Amino acid sequence: MVIMDNLGIVFALLGAAISALLAGIGSAVGVGMAGEAAAGVVTEEPQKFGKVLILQLLPGTQGIYGLLIAFITLSQIGILGGGNASVSFRAGLLYFVACLPMGFVGLWSAIRQARAAVAGINLVAKRPEQMGKAIIFSAMVETYAILALLISILAIVGIPALGV
Amino acid sequence: MSVLPMSKVNIIGLKNDRKKILEYIQKIGILEVKDCQYDAGLENVDTAVAQSKFQKVKDDLLQALNILETYDAEGKSIFYILQGKRTFFRSDYEGLVAKREQIIDVARDVLNLKKQIDDKKMQILKLMDQIDELKPWQDLSIAMNIKGTDKTKVVFGTLSENYTKERITLVLKEAGEKLGADKTVEDLYVDIINTTKVKTHIAVICKKEQLEEVENVLRYIGFIESQIDCDKTPTSKIGELRKKRQEIKSEIYNCEKSIYEAAKFSDDIKFLTDYYTMRIDKYEVIEKLGQSQSTFVLSGFAPTNVVEKLGKALCEKWDVVFEHTVSSEEDNPPILLKNNSISEPLEGVLETFSLPGRGEIDPTVVMSMFYYFLFGIMLSDAGYGVLIVLACSIALWRFPKMGDVMRRALKMYLYCGISTTFWGVMFGGYFGDAVQVISTTFFNKEVVIKPLWFSPMEEPMRMLMFSLLVGIIHLFAGLGMKLYSCIKAGNLKDALYDVIFWYMLVGGAIVFLLTTKMFTDMAGLNFTLSANVGKVAIGFMIVGAIGIILTSGRSSKNPFKRIAKGMYGLYNVTGYLSDILSYSRLLALGLATGVIANVFNKMGSMFGDGILGGIAFALVFALGHTLNIGINLLGAYVHTNRLQFVEFFGKFYEGGGEKFSPFKVDTAYFEIKND
Repeated sequence: MVIMDNLGIVFALLGAAISALLAGIGSAVGVGMAGEAAAGVVTEEPQKFGKVLILQLLPGTQGIYGLLIAFITLSQIGILGGGNASVSFRAGLLYFVACLPMGFVGLWSAIRQARAAVAGINLVAKRPEQMGKAIIFSAMVETYAILALLISILAIVGIPALGV
Repeated sequence: MSVLPMSKVNIIGLKNDRKKILEYIQKIGILEVKDCQYDAGLENVDTAVAQSKFQKVKDDLLQALNILETYDAEGKSIFYILQGKRTFFRSDYEGLVAKREQIIDVARDVLNLKKQIDDKKMQILKLMDQIDELKPWQDLSIAMNIKGTDKTKVVFGTLSENYTKERITLVLKEAGEKLGADKTVEDLYVDIINTTKVKTHIAVICKKEQLEEVENVLRYIGFIESQIDCDKTPTSKIGELRKKRQEIKSEIYNCEKSIYEAAKFSDDIKFLTDYYTMRIDKYEVIEKLGQSQSTFVLSGFAPTNVVEKLGKALCEKWDVVFEHTVSSEEDNPPILLKNNSISEPLEGVLETFSLPGRGEIDPTVVMSMFYYFLFGIMLSDAGYGVLIVLACSIALWRFPKMGDVMRRALKMYLYCGISTTFWGVMFGGYFGDAVQVISTTFFNKEVVIKPLWFSPMEEPMRMLMFSLLVGIIHLFAGLGMKLYSCIKAGNLKDALYDVIFWYMLVGGAIVFLLTTKMFTDMAGLNFTLSANVGKVAIGFMIVGAIGIILTSGRSSKNPFKRIAKGMYGLYNVTGYLSDILSYSRLLALGLATGVIANVFNKMGSMFGDGILGGIAFALVFALGHTLNIGINLLGAYVHTNRLQFVEFFGKFYEGGGEKFSPFKVDTAYFEIKND
């Protein structure tokens, strides 16, 4: 059982890594896609740079949420902050599972949000006064990333109280 | 908080006064001109030709300005966007207008010079190509168009590989044997002029009568004859081309000097673009007028509170007939909002959604209160808040003349910054946990600034409950707005059916949840309402639900259809659930700001204490927090907008109004003042 107990922290870290990895990949892909579209608009109309930049950045938040979950996990299991909490096998698996919503939803929602952002950038290229609506279309997608973030946070923060 | 009432206006005047009257209306800028409504024998004048003529001049002027700016960029400060329009006195105006031909000539000269410069740059590129082509032949001491002497022929060209003399002889010999021309090859004279890694430049001399055979052999080994045709030795030709390039360069320099000299006219050119903008606007208005032989009719809208004054002023100055009536909803008047100075900055945000449609109330005031409140919770860091407040107030103070859009945006962020500071103090965020990190790293003493209320990072569940509570208040305020507009319009039935029943259903459900132990335990609340309250709440819920089933399909006459629609209406209660949950973003975004700030603080403190550690900390701190402010400012802006547009407006607001855009002096660079 000693080996099993030592594996606890490995699973917890795996969870943190997955959350930062997947959400980060999603945002990187998303911001990249939106950036290509934005650059296209700027070749024709450089004065729209400010507007399309905001739209480009929208799919970037998932990466930050992933980082956030990873960070909270790291400080809970004592890798950050120098605490020496021992993580049991069960607790490690729980942390792992708690990180999954943010990782997976972060990945997909960032890419889907980026597609909405690209469409929004095209909208702004033709009708710049519709900027507010273009932002909203893209921000609707982010709701689900936020819900996933919420569940991940609540789960991770709740695990120590279980005493496992 | 209101949409200003508009009046329909008709002005009938003499054609002789038309120019003066239009200029006066443009100057005061409070009248939106619409197409003339009378059509009895009145004609519209087509001004498209004149407009496009002016547009052409304006385009030239703008292009010239662009060119002047690229050549004279240092005069522009990075804050130019904030500076706004400069003042221009009317006494100077006439003088400049009189000089306009001259100024247009200057602008066209600039365009011309720019074109010359571009042409000359192309010429230089061509010269460079020629020089590059000649360079390998530099060692040749004869002109390249020499074809030979009486008895011999000379051929210049390249082989597409790096050859030595021996190898060329060898290859030629082989080729000669293959083509049966060994004799000819023996008589050949080949000289290598130059070799590069991939090419060998050679001169071949042969007897005149053997030329054809030699060409065959050469072609066989991959020789390409040079196309250069020049009657001088390559070296002297290169010298000549270089001299020519120098000459063109100095011509370009002269052109550029002339452009620099023209730069002193750039203010005049700017003035003139403004002048033509005004004239184009005026001609657009003239097109909308109804005109007879000697009179014209102008129709439009003006805010009711100024319409009397406008009429009086016009009647005093000229012989005009001035009619005005307060417009009704059927006229579809344009929308002009009037709000107090705290809410006014958010008119811009409302505009990005939509202005109030027919008969709708102006939601700006209520929206602005929630806007600042929600924005503050999402950013919630006192350090960031103070920075935002400082930046915005300094910009507002230093650049009093900035454009309206910019001023509104800065004012909005100023108030948002105040709210951010407030919530930062409540939740204990000062650049994240910077105080704690700095004190432990550099002074070996832990100083913690306690949050005034509680720390969301330590009690996320409590923060979640608070977020949802804010959501419920926001949504109910949205329903309240609907109640207000229903009552104001006198639709008491709609108020009961569409608002009161929903209040009963959703409010009852929430109160009922608070009486169940399971929910209060989960939410971490330390109270549970008594079961009797729960019974009353259920009563309210049932009344509300039945009311909704019976009334929300009231547009249908068929009773079955009506109930079916009513059931569907009740289904919207799930919408309330997701609306309320949507406010959990307040928690998520607030935590995001705090956690990322902490990450940067921690990264900075990893370099240890001491002077070097301090410098490293300062660098990481400055960079990291700048980044964090940027990201989270964007996040807070986007998500506050979302909560307003989707959740709040979803309850009562549709929009669709058209913005009031008066005929006014709509200049880009100068504002004209009477002195």
